[in-house]
Order: sequence, then structure tokens, then C-alpha cells
Amino acid sequence: MMDEPMTTPRDARADAAGVERQVARLLVLGTRLAVGLLAIGTALLLSAGISPLATDWPPLHLSSLLRDVVALRPEGFLWLGMIFTIATPLFRVVGSTLGFAAAGERRMVVLGIAVLVVITLAVFAGLLGG
Amino acid sequence: MIVGLLLATGGFGAGVFGSLLGLGGGVLIVPLLTVGFGLPFREAVGVSLVCVIVTSSAAAGVFLERHLANLRLGMVLEVFTATGALLGGLVAFLLPERVLAGLFAALLGYTAFTMVQRSRQGAAPVSGPSADDAGAVEPGVPSGPGEGPGAATAPTGQTLADQIAGPGYRPHRLPFGAVGSLGAGIVSALLGVGGGIVKVPLMHLVMGVPLKVATATSNMMIGVTAAASAIVYLLRGGIDPYVAGPTAVGVFVGAMVGSRVASRIDVRLLRILFVGVMAVTAVQMAVRALG
Repeated sequence: MMDEPMTTPRDARADAAGVERQVARLLVLGTRLAVGLLAIGTALLLSAGISPLATDWPPLHLSSLLRDVVALRPEGFLWLGMIFTIATPLFRVVGSTLGFAAAGERRMVVLGIAVLVVITLAVFAGLLGG
Repeated sequence: MIVGLLLATGGFGAGVFGSLLGLGGGVLIVPLLTVGFGLPFREAVGVSLVCVIVTSSAAAGVFLERHLANLRLGMVLEVFTATGALLGGLVAFLLPERVLAGLFAALLGYTAFTMVQRSRQGAAPVSGPSADDAGAVEPGVPSGPGEGPGAATAPTGQTLADQIAGPGYRPHRLPFGAVGSLGAGIVSALLGVGGGIVKVPLMHLVMGVPLKVATATSNMMIGVTAAASAIVYLLRGGIDPYVAGPTAVGVFVGAMVGSRVASRIDVRLLRILFVGVMAVTAVQMAVRALG
């Protein structure tokens, strides 16, 4: 008689708690990775004797990012750390959206997608203005 | 070497304070970098945005684990804060800063006054997220133990307000929340703050969310809000990695310390601290507006 799967309040609570746990883990891991990269970059910066305020900073070139990291240049770690920093809350939105999708909460999925659309527009706005 | 360490130390202080109050620390970082280190305002805003994302992400993980932040409410309002941040990033160089600073000072002053009034009336001094006045229990809202703010049930047929309800409270006046969040996003992008200084009173005073939940949820939302404008600043070459690195590392350590002690701090003390921060920031903004 009923084809659609039923979600009990207890199931929904368990699903939601699971999403929160996963998202929390994602945030902690992403932040540690980002700050780890920034800390390495800062250590390299200081050990190289570069004063943060007295030097023009190197521009961000995605094409040379990995090369700079391999060469242990501070800017490579600092730019990569900054990219991870900005990406971490976005990973949280993606993770939450996927979690809510798995829990069958369509309204929250739509909201998550809407946030990601705005972020995509911000990327275009930045690229066009740069 | 010394400058780098000073940047990290300043970031540490901003991280502790920002994490406790859901501010993201930008309110402290921008004056620190402009007044303390002589950075141009726009560069300070770019660095500050990176720092407030670190603050938010570090604290949000802890707040979510402890079920202090309302993930669903945050996702609803983030649509508007991110949109506001994008718009703010686009018009950052078009609007006179003095006008914005004056409006912001007036808003902060009014909000601080309102919060002080409510405390004096004894309407909301009870500690704990579920005991706050603004979150009086409404019929049909789950309030049992073990149900975090984001763990409200969401079966078919529930309204959005039902879906984002937490234990002991049900957010209301969502349209006001949406408009206010849009404004918070614009302020964040223009001034390099997380926007918590707008979002926390908005959620607490207007939407009826308990102060601790509002603080934690705001802290979680700051990351996405600041990311939307930080992307614009980053791609337009407005972020100095040499300054952002040490400052952000300091902010991270400070935010970790702050988030560990946040749940043990009495909400009344938090409110007094918050009012104090708003008053100081209002004076700063008024001075900037007057020239």
C-alpha cells in the first residue's frame, strides 16, 4: 500500500546527528590541514628572513603552486593553505548537502545547492574583476 | 622575524575573543592590522577575511560536535549571508565607507542598548541554550534530552520553521532573518568582519534563538559568508599571504582555546562581553564616519 520508505522521527534524528558528526569531522580535518600548510609557510617565511610587511607579496599562480611547494618556497605553502582555508567551509556545505540528501531532506538539499551557486558566482565575479 | 611573531600573537588574541563571542575576530583584526601594523584598509580586510574563516571553521567543528550550533538554521541563513557577501564584494569600492561606518555605528549602538534593556528587565538572563527566554517552548517542538539544535525531526509536511527548530525554541520571523543576514553578508565583505556582530543579535533578539545557539550558529556561518567575499578578494589580488599566514595561524590557536571554554561560560557574562564589544566597535565606526 505504501511504496515510499517511511522515516520515523528517531531515524531522522539519528540521520541528522550523523550529518552533524561528519560535518564536524570535515571541518576539523580541513582546518588542521589548512593551518598546517599556513604554519609551514610561516616557518619558511621567517626562516628565510622575509619580513611580512617589508616585501611585495608574490601573486597567486595556480600553475606554479605545486612547484613552489616541492621547492619549499613559503609562498607555495601559504597560497595552498589559504585555498584550503577558503575551501573548508565550502566542503562543509557540500558535506551537509550530501548528508541531507541521504537523509531525504530535499528542502535542505535545495538550500545547500543555493549556497554553492552563490559561491560559484563569487568565483566568476573574482575572475572577471581580476 | 619579530613582525611575524607579533602578527601571530595579535591573531591569537583576536581568535580567543572572536570564538567566545561568535564574532570571527575581524572586528579586532582589521584595527590591529591597520592601526597596529599600518596596513592599507583594503589589505587588512582581505587578511581579516581569511582569519575569520579559520576562526569559524575551528570553532564550528567543536560547536557542531557538542550540538550547540543549529546546522539547519545556519544553512537557511547562509544563502542570504553569502549572497550579501558577494554583493558587498562587488560594491566594496563604490560606496563611501563613511556612510557605511555611520550606519553600522548606529546599528551597533541600538542593538547594544536593546540587549542591555532586556537584561535589566530580567527577560533573558537564564544560562543555557534551552532555558533562554527567547526560546520559549512551543507546542509540537521536540525538547527532549539528547536532541541537538540541528537534530530536530524533519518528516514530510513540516514547515521550514519546524524543520529548523531546536530543543526548547522555534525560530520565527524568518523573513527578517533573511533580510538581516543579507545585510550581515554585505557588512562582512565591506569591513572584513564575520558579520556575527549583526547575526547574533538578529538570531537572538529578532528570531528568538537562544544566545548560545545563536553565537555557535553564527560562528559556523561566518566561514561560508567570509569565503564568498574572500574568493573575490583572492582572485583580485587583494590578500597578502605573507601577512595572512602568521596572523591566521595565531587566530587558529586562539580560536581553539576560546571554543574549548565557551560552553563553560555563563550566558550573562557572554552578553556583557558582547555588549561591551558592540559599544567599542560602535565608537570606532562613529570616529571613522566623522572623519
